Amino acid sequence: MKEELFVSGRNIPNIDPYLNIWHWQIPSYLFLGGLAAGILFFAAVFTILGKENKMATAVKIAPMIVPFALILGLFFLFLDLKHKLYFWQLYTTIRLESPMGWGSWVLMIMTPISIIWAASYVREIFPNWDWKFRFLKNFEAWVIKNRILIAWPMAIYAVILGIYTGILLSAFNARPLWNTSILGPLFLVSGMSTGAAVVLLLSKDHKERKIMGRIDILLILIELFFIIHLFMGFKAGSEASINAANLFLGGSFTAPFFAFVVILGLIFPAILEVFELKGYKVPVIVPAALILIGGLIFRFLIVEAGQITKYLY
Amino acid sequence: MKKIKFDGSFYLNPYLGGVILGTVLLLSFYISGRGLGASGAVKSTVAATVNIIAPEHVAKSAYLSQFAGGDHQPMNNWLIFEVLGVLAGAFLSGIIFNRLKLKVEHSPKITSRRRLIFALLGGLIFGFGSQLARGCTSGAALSGMAVLSFGGYITMIAIFGTAFVAAWIFRKNWI
Repeated sequence: MKEELFVSGRNIPNIDPYLNIWHWQIPSYLFLGGLAAGILFFAAVFTILGKENKMATAVKIAPMIVPFALILGLFFLFLDLKHKLYFWQLYTTIRLESPMGWGSWVLMIMTPISIIWAASYVREIFPNWDWKFRFLKNFEAWVIKNRILIAWPMAIYAVILGIYTGILLSAFNARPLWNTSILGPLFLVSGMSTGAAVVLLLSKDHKERKIMGRIDILLILIELFFIIHLFMGFKAGSEASINAANLFLGGSFTAPFFAFVVILGLIFPAILEVFELKGYKVPVIVPAALILIGGLIFRFLIVEAGQITKYLY
Repeated sequence: MKKIKFDGSFYLNPYLGGVILGTVLLLSFYISGRGLGASGAVKSTVAATVNIIAPEHVAKSAYLSQFAGGDHQPMNNWLIFEVLGVLAGAFLSGIIFNRLKLKVEHSPKITSRRRLIFALLGGLIFGFGSQLARGCTSGAALSGMAVLSFGGYITMIAIFGTAFVAAWIFRKNWI
């Protein structure tokens, strides 16, 4: 018998003292959501700046992936639901204080925008494509004329989507590792960096790669700063926060976190990109793939570790 | 020291390379508390892979069950991270000295195919031997000799002595 657990109420399987409800679906979705947000943000910003043709991959080609990434991510979220057939209730229950409610609505807006954006460039990339119906052709013409009008909300919602992937976690006030407001900006920057990596991977234009490489190095530096800041914040916090941070600073997540996320996922690709900017020949697939894999592992580790952190009462 | 050229022709002086390798070994003991190794990482990867595909086999095998299955976490191992670092460092060195190319190095008298088959055979035999000897050139000989282990010296003599004989037998593949 474990009376102290019954009396204290801390024996709820899969919820308390340890959360055991989120598996591979959630970090995979967070990765795809961040990636989509990053790509769409760059596409929108370069459109607003009038650089569609100079940054053709970022504006026209990379966004083709986004609808697929978002739909796959939403499918993962769907798989995670216990009562799958009631998913629509996310949209009938309006609660301003619910981050999941906010996320559902952001995705509801972002997914169609991404489909429209990608569709409006299909004929430019595949010249033989025919939209068949008259109203589709008219709509395409309207979108092409009003791209900047679409780019503004797309940029803003991309930022919200990127932050939301972190806020989803930080809204859990019972999990010390997640319950920090820096997680939102950290996931946003990480998502933008993975988005930039996709553009780097797809781009064949040397000038565009150089610009994206520079942006990516900057994003990696900001991300490293946020990671340091995250742990400094924990270390200066309560005992529960210190215990949460210690999982990564000597505990069981230390080696995978520092090896795969910090060194191989951030510092090493940044060094490779610096060498590329300096004129050395670097196969671009290596830094880009490392950033993508590092971003995916980062989300898996944070989701996994966050579930086992707890308050100490 | 000769001038460093960045056209792919520069190789470090082997004696200087040895000193640097020794320093790396010393640092490895200092930072991780363990020596260097290579075959251990391969062994852990094999054990972890077999454990995913056929866990019953790992449980039954006296050899594999030392490393995988049960509470063992074969991939959470210093050697795995060390070998990843070796790959990353070698890649960076290849970029800096402009030597990053996908190619098979072999004597002009033999084909790439022959070279790859012999390399694979040699690697298999060496991997098997390293498990009998409880370590390879870096794990048993280098790290062993660094801590003045008698086994380290024997391993070193055995590896290089055998290599001397084997090199003469297979010399036609190179000259």
